[in-house]
Amino acid sequence: MTVQRTAVPADAAQLSVLNQFLREFWTAAALAPAGMRPFELVLEEIFMNIIMHGSQPGIAPQVEVSLMLAGDAVTMTVEDDGTQFDPLSLPPPDVTASLADRRVGGLGVFLVRKMMDTVSYARIAGRNQLRMSKRLDG
Amino acid sequence: MNLRIEALAEVSYVIPEGRLDFDAAPGFQEAVERVLGGAGKAPAAVIIDGAALEYVSSAGLRAFLLIARAAQRAGTSFALCALQPAVRDVFELSGFSSIIAVHADRATALAQAHQGRA
Repeated sequence: MTVQRTAVPADAAQLSVLNQFLREFWTAAALAPAGMRPFELVLEEIFMNIIMHGSQPGIAPQVEVSLMLAGDAVTMTVEDDGTQFDPLSLPPPDVTASLADRRVGGLGVFLVRKMMDTVSYARIAGRNQLRMSKRLDG
Repeated sequence: MNLRIEALAEVSYVIPEGRLDFDAAPGFQEAVERVLGGAGKAPAAVIIDGAALEYVSSAGLRAFLLIARAAQRAGTSFALCALQPAVRDVFELSGFSSIIAVHADRATALAQAHQGRA
């Protein structure tokens, strides 16, 4: 079992640091590159959500990301000390709406749910915790 | 992200290279809207060639949605083609492939555009 952890402030410029962390984990665990794409997308969507919903004026939450490989499944856990916010409470977007009526709000979280096998939210000791798992090659 | 544009007589190809994430999406949208609003007259068709497009997040989807609406207003047919599998997955999962035409390659996209169905 491989576990790695990193932490950055909730600032959009830090996404590249998190992406680098993800790439290094993937390489160290000798996983097939194609399997990384869903996690890359999920990382951007969740991190940008925290920046948008978790921040207060002048205070950027700290965001901690951990990656774990157990068997053939990768679990990504994203924790932050920002405002309480459960992204899974967002109403799902209407993905059948016409071009004119289509809204983009909520699409990021919708994609996270679709891409991962399991997604769960918890508020633990004043922190938001989102845990996402996906079996590789599945 | 790099962006190349091939402007032909009736069709402009836009070739994004790299990642269409939150950072790249606004600039990409502006660049394609310039092609649509371009030097006076909008091209009959704008086709995004996705062969070198590696990654699209919801911010990228938002840009495509707004571009598709701008194309509709301009009376320009708009389509994507040659998407990489990971990007095609994002389009299909989000239901975007039902509102924006996605074709296998440039030739198919162009043929459909000529029939006014792209």
